[in-house]
Amino acid sequence: MKIKDAEIISLMQNPRTLEQGVRALMDAYQSRLYWHIRRIIVDGDLAQDTLQDTFIKAYQNFHQFKNDSQLYTWLYRIATNEALQQINKLKKMQKTDEDPEYYMQNLVADNTSGDAEEIQILLQSAIQSLPEKQKLVFMMRYYDDLPYEEISKIVDMSVGTLKTNYHYAKQKIEDYIKENYQK
Amino acid sequence: MKDFDLEKLERKNIYKVPENLFENIQGKVLSGMNDFDLEKLERKNIYAVPDNLFETVQENVINSVMPVKKAPIFKLNWMYAAAASLALIFGATFVFNNTNDNIAEQKYAVNEQKPKTESQMAYETLESDLTSVENNNQTVRNQENKKAVAANNDRAETVNDNEKNKTVKAVSTQKEGQMNEYLDSFSTSEISELASNSTQDVYLDVYN
Repeated sequence: MKIKDAEIISLMQNPRTLEQGVRALMDAYQSRLYWHIRRIIVDGDLAQDTLQDTFIKAYQNFHQFKNDSQLYTWLYRIATNEALQQINKLKKMQKTDEDPEYYMQNLVADNTSGDAEEIQILLQSAIQSLPEKQKLVFMMRYYDDLPYEEISKIVDMSVGTLKTNYHYAKQKIEDYIKENYQK
Repeated sequence: MKDFDLEKLERKNIYKVPENLFENIQGKVLSGMNDFDLEKLERKNIYAVPDNLFETVQENVINSVMPVKKAPIFKLNWMYAAAASLALIFGATFVFNNTNDNIAEQKYAVNEQKPKTESQMAYETLESDLTSVENNNQTVRNQENKKAVAANNDRAETVNDNEKNKTVKAVSTQKEGQMNEYLDSFSTSEISELASNSTQDVYLDVYN
C-alpha cells in the first residue's frame, strides 16, 4: 500500500498525469471511504455526495498534504470532517422535539438491505446510540482496523483517551444488543 | 407496633418486574446471547448501495476538478512559418495590384466624363473662334469661286440634286411604308392607348 501511495502522490504532483493520479486515488480509497462515511451518515444519497466532496477537497488541498503522514490518514480526516458537517446540517434541519438518536436509528432501519440479519441491524442501531467521539473511534477501530496512533491523528485525541472511548463504546454496544436481541 | 415481630411479617417482593422477565432470560441464556462477544461478530456492510455508485462518483469528481481541455497548440517550424509568410505577402501584393488596376481603369473612365477646366474651355473656345474665322475666309473665297463655277455646275448640280432627292425619297418612302404596315397591325384601342402613354411621357419629360 505504501508503494501504491507513493505512485499516486507522484502522479498527482505532475500536471500532465494529474487526472490519472486523481483516478488512481479514487480507485484505491473510494470503497473504504464510502463505507466510513456511510456508517456515520447512514443515508445513501448523502453519503455519495459526501464522498464526492471528500475527493474534491482532497484534490483542492493536495498541496497541503505532507508526506510524513499516511495518505489514507489524511483522506480519512477529510472524510470524517465532511461527514460530521453533514450530520450537523441534518440535526439543524431536524424538528426540535425529535430525538437525534431515535432519528438515526430509524434511518438505519430504512436503509438496510432486505437480507440483513437482525443482529447486524441491532449493531448499527447501537452504534448510532453512542456519543459522537465514541462512535468515530469505535467505527475506525472495529471496521477499518486502524491503529490507535492513526485514529489519534484523524480525530485529534490522545491514544489513551481513544482506548478508553473504545472500551466504553464496545461495552455499551454489547449491552444494547443483549438487551434488544430477540431470537 | 410495640408487639411487632419480623418473623410474623409476610415475605413479599414489592418491586415492579418486567413482563416475561424469566422467559427472556432463559431465551438469552439458551441462545448464547449472555456471553455475546462483539469481536466474534462478522464485520458486514448491511446498507443497500446503488448500481454504478463509484463510476458516478468518479465522473462527477473528474468533471468538477479537471480543467476544460484547451485546443492543442501546434509548434510551427521556422521554415514553414517563413514560407507561409512569403506566400501571404505575394498573395496580398497580387490581390492589391489587381484591385489597383481596376480602380485606375475606373478612375480614367470617370475622368473622361469629368467637366473641363476653365483654362481648357478657354483654349477650346479660342481654337474654335480661330477655326470659324478661317472657315469664314474660306467661304468668302469659295463664294467668289462658286459664282464663276456656278454657271458651269448648274446643270450638273441639278442632275445631282435630283439623284439625291430620289434616293432620300426612296429611303423615306420605304420607312413610311414599314411604319404604316406596323401601325396597321395595331387596333384602334391599342393606338389610343399608345397615344395616351406618349402624352404621359411628354409630361414626364417636361418635369424632368
